[in-house]
Order: sequence, then structure tokens, then C-alpha cells
Amino acid sequence: MSPNKIRLVRFLVILGVVLLWEFYARVFATSSLSAAPSQVLAELWPKVLGEPRVRAAIGVTLIELIVAFVMSVVFGMLIGVLIGMTDIGRRSFYPVVLLLYGIPQAILLPLFVLIFGLGPASKIAFGFSHGIFPVIVNTIAGMRNVNPLLLRGAAAMGATRFEQLRYVMFPHMVTAVFTGLRLAMTLTLLGVLLAELFVSQGGIGFFTLLYAETFNPASLIALILTLALLAIVLNELVRMVEARFSRWKE
Amino acid sequence: MEFPGRDPSQRVLALDDVSLDIRRGEFVCLLGPSGCGKSTLLNIIGGMLTQTSGSATVNGTPVTSPRPDDIAYVFQESTLFPWFTVLENFRLALKFRGVEDANWRDRAMQSLSAVGMEQFASHYPKQLSVGMKQRINLARGLCVGSEVLLLDEPFAALDEQTRMVLGEDLSILLARRGKTIVFVTHSLAEAVFLADRIVVMTARPGKVKASIEVPEPHPRSPDFMLTDAFQDIRKELYGLLRDEIRQTVAAMRVARDAQA
Repeated sequence: MSPNKIRLVRFLVILGVVLLWEFYARVFATSSLSAAPSQVLAELWPKVLGEPRVRAAIGVTLIELIVAFVMSVVFGMLIGVLIGMTDIGRRSFYPVVLLLYGIPQAILLPLFVLIFGLGPASKIAFGFSHGIFPVIVNTIAGMRNVNPLLLRGAAAMGATRFEQLRYVMFPHMVTAVFTGLRLAMTLTLLGVLLAELFVSQGGIGFFTLLYAETFNPASLIALILTLALLAIVLNELVRMVEARFSRWKE
Repeated sequence: MEFPGRDPSQRVLALDDVSLDIRRGEFVCLLGPSGCGKSTLLNIIGGMLTQTSGSATVNGTPVTSPRPDDIAYVFQESTLFPWFTVLENFRLALKFRGVEDANWRDRAMQSLSAVGMEQFASHYPKQLSVGMKQRINLARGLCVGSEVLLLDEPFAALDEQTRMVLGEDLSILLARRGKTIVFVTHSLAEAVFLADRIVVMTARPGKVKASIEVPEPHPRSPDFMLTDAFQDIRKELYGLLRDEIRQTVAAMRVARDAQA
């Protein structure tokens, strides 16, 4: 199938779903519980995005997300390299990481709020607790299976341990690490939003709760759409950076 | 040279009582049956392995670790880093060696054109064929400017025809540069065509069985392969190797039966 045809089919299916939704919402649904796409779009501007307090809330959430993500990446890679670098590290600590990764963090959320308070700190901490694990795990995974011949070649050419790490290990790890980064981006967002929804004073969670409790589905869906768009944009950003680092793989 | 193995029963004596002097500027081929320790010997000369007894010296100094200033390596498979372009690979090789050369680009391009690959300087290794990659590995070995070049079956992964062409090119290249070369190979024809001297090794544990001179000046033309002199040396080598190969195969059978 030609790419154009694929795009056309995709577009038609999505259009169909939106139309069905519009039809359902206008004919059958209770207006205080759900809204049609056309109403949501009408609500998006100026009522939701035009409202300075909503925009500020989105900004707060975005900053929480970025801080949590950057922390996940920096600490995750650091810990991953430290654990993955030696056989003993991998054998003794990797199982611990996997064990922690397996705990559903949602049950720890009240604890995070208790420790870090009601403000942004608890959201960042919770997002971080989600984001760091995929970074660690994929960093460790990336350090394995490096072609030993390349390391030997580098050693034969006189590369120091650090140069072997910098020019052989790290480039080899790029693919795996970026898999981790994309996962981390999604999970950090999840963590931040969960914490926002749990308790919030000024972030996006505050407004989703407000819209839901005042039976204002159009505004609620408009806000959710904005968030979804944000997540997609952030994910694409990570993908673009990855593509830049992966030119050699064509 | 002895490898310990996981327990004493797996201990392997790879090389036994090997004594070999290689002159400056000489092209020596190490020839022997599989598993006879040719590569082990090469790795000891290159400082990639440390021998369990005895000594190895290059230019009068004992070799204990890789010495990129004196010794360059070309392996059986490409060791070009796939994430860098060809040119970046050269730059890195010089950097690893500690050469901060402002003219590194010219130097790399010169080596590349010596093997006819200059138009691929900005390609990534993935975009090149196996033969092209080996040419570039060879060029990189030449580029770093070390006096000794160790080649561990560099053409083993290539098809017969590419191999012959590369062999010819190598002969021409080396005639000009006067490097000292140790070349490990399985191929009798390759050994006779390239080497000044062929060292035939025994089945494991590897010893030097014979040392045969090839009195033919470099560069050698493919016509050399058609001469009687070439055929005679090749026959002599075959005679020397045949028993060793039999012995290797027999030893493998014994090991297999012991396992069964």
C-alpha cells in the first residue's frame, strides 16, 4: 500500500470515530456528563486555554514534569552505569532494581505526599520515582552485548579505559538508553499527573477536579486533550533527539 | 603459553617452546592448523595477551600491554566503530594513539587513497561491503604510522576473488613502506604470495615446525602464482601441514568421544 493510501485510511477511521462520538453525545448523552467534540473545541478557547489560571497550572505541571524527567535521566544513567559497569554490580544490585521496579508505585503515593507536602515537590518526587527505573534498567541492558571485538580493537589502538567507555560503550548504548528515555517520559508524565489528581493546589490536577465536580465535561475534555497533545509533543521531542544520535544505523 | 580454563582438566597448553626472530621490515606469515595457537602468538607479540612463561620483545623492549606507538593491529573482522564515519574512525585511531596531528585529515585521506577508498571517507561502515571495510581497516593500520603491523587473518571473511585483489594490493603497498609484518593465515596460497618467510606451526601445543623463505621481491604480480617456484613452495608447505591437520582432526575426534 502506498504511504498516501495508508494516511488516507488512517484519517478516515479517526474521522469516523470523532463523528460517531459527536453523534452519540448530541443524541443520547446527558449534557452534564459528556460533551461532543464540537463543544469541546468551542470550550478550548477562550474558556479553558484563555483562562490565565489554567495556563499557569499547565505551566506548573510542565515544570514539574521537566524537573522530574531530567532528574530521572541524570540519576538513572549514573546509577545504571555504576551498576552495569562491573560484573559484581550487575549481579548484586540489578535484582534489587528490578524488584523495586516491580512495586506498583501508586500505593506509595500517600507516603510521597506525606513526605514532600502538597506542593510541586511531591509531584516531582512521584514522577521521578516512575521515570528513573526504565532509565536504569535500559542503561544496564545497553551496556551488555557490546561487541568485544570493538573493545579489543580500541585497546589495541591504545584507548584508555575512559576512552573505551566514551567512544565504544556509550555509542553502543544509545539505542537502549533512548528506549529507556521514551519510557521514562511517558511514565514521568503518568507519575506527575497521578500525584496532581491525588492532591493539587495549583497544578492541572486542581482544574480537572474542579471541572469534573462542577459537571463541566466540555472543559474537562478540553483540558485532557491539551495534556494528551503535550505528551505527544514531548515524546516526539525525545524521538527527534534519538534520530539525531542514530544516523549511523541506516 | 597456557590457558588455565575453569578447572585443571580444561587447562590448555596453546604454545610450547616457540622461538621466533623477525627482522625489521620482514613480512612473516604464521601458518598452521586451526587451534594451533597462531592467533595466540600474534596476541602475545601485540601485547593483547601476556604469556605464562618466556618473553616477547619488540624493538628490544618487552611487550606487556598494547603498544600502539610501535604496533598496529588488523583483525579478522572489521573493528571500525559503526557509529562513526570512516574519517571519524581514523581520527579516533590517531587520538587513541596520542597523536594530536593538525593534519590528521590529510593523513587519513592519504591512507584511504592508498587502498583506493578515498571516496568513502564520509560513509558509515554499515554502508560498505565486508571487503571495503577490511581495506579501510588496513588503511587505518597504515595511517597510525607504527612500524609493526599485525594482521590476524584479515581476509578470512572475504570471498576468494576479493581476497586475491586485496592480497595483491597489500603486496604493492608494503613494498613501498618497509613495515614489519606478521600475518596469520590459513591459506597456503596467500602465505606464499605475500610472505618473505613462512613459519609453519605444529598442531596444539603450537611449536615452530619449519621456517621457509620465499625469495621473491615485492611487489609481486599475480603471475608469480603461476611460476614453478610458487608451486614448489606451496607443495612443500602442504606436505608440512598435512600431518598437522590430520593430528588436529584426530585430537578433535578424541575430545568428542571423551565427551560422549
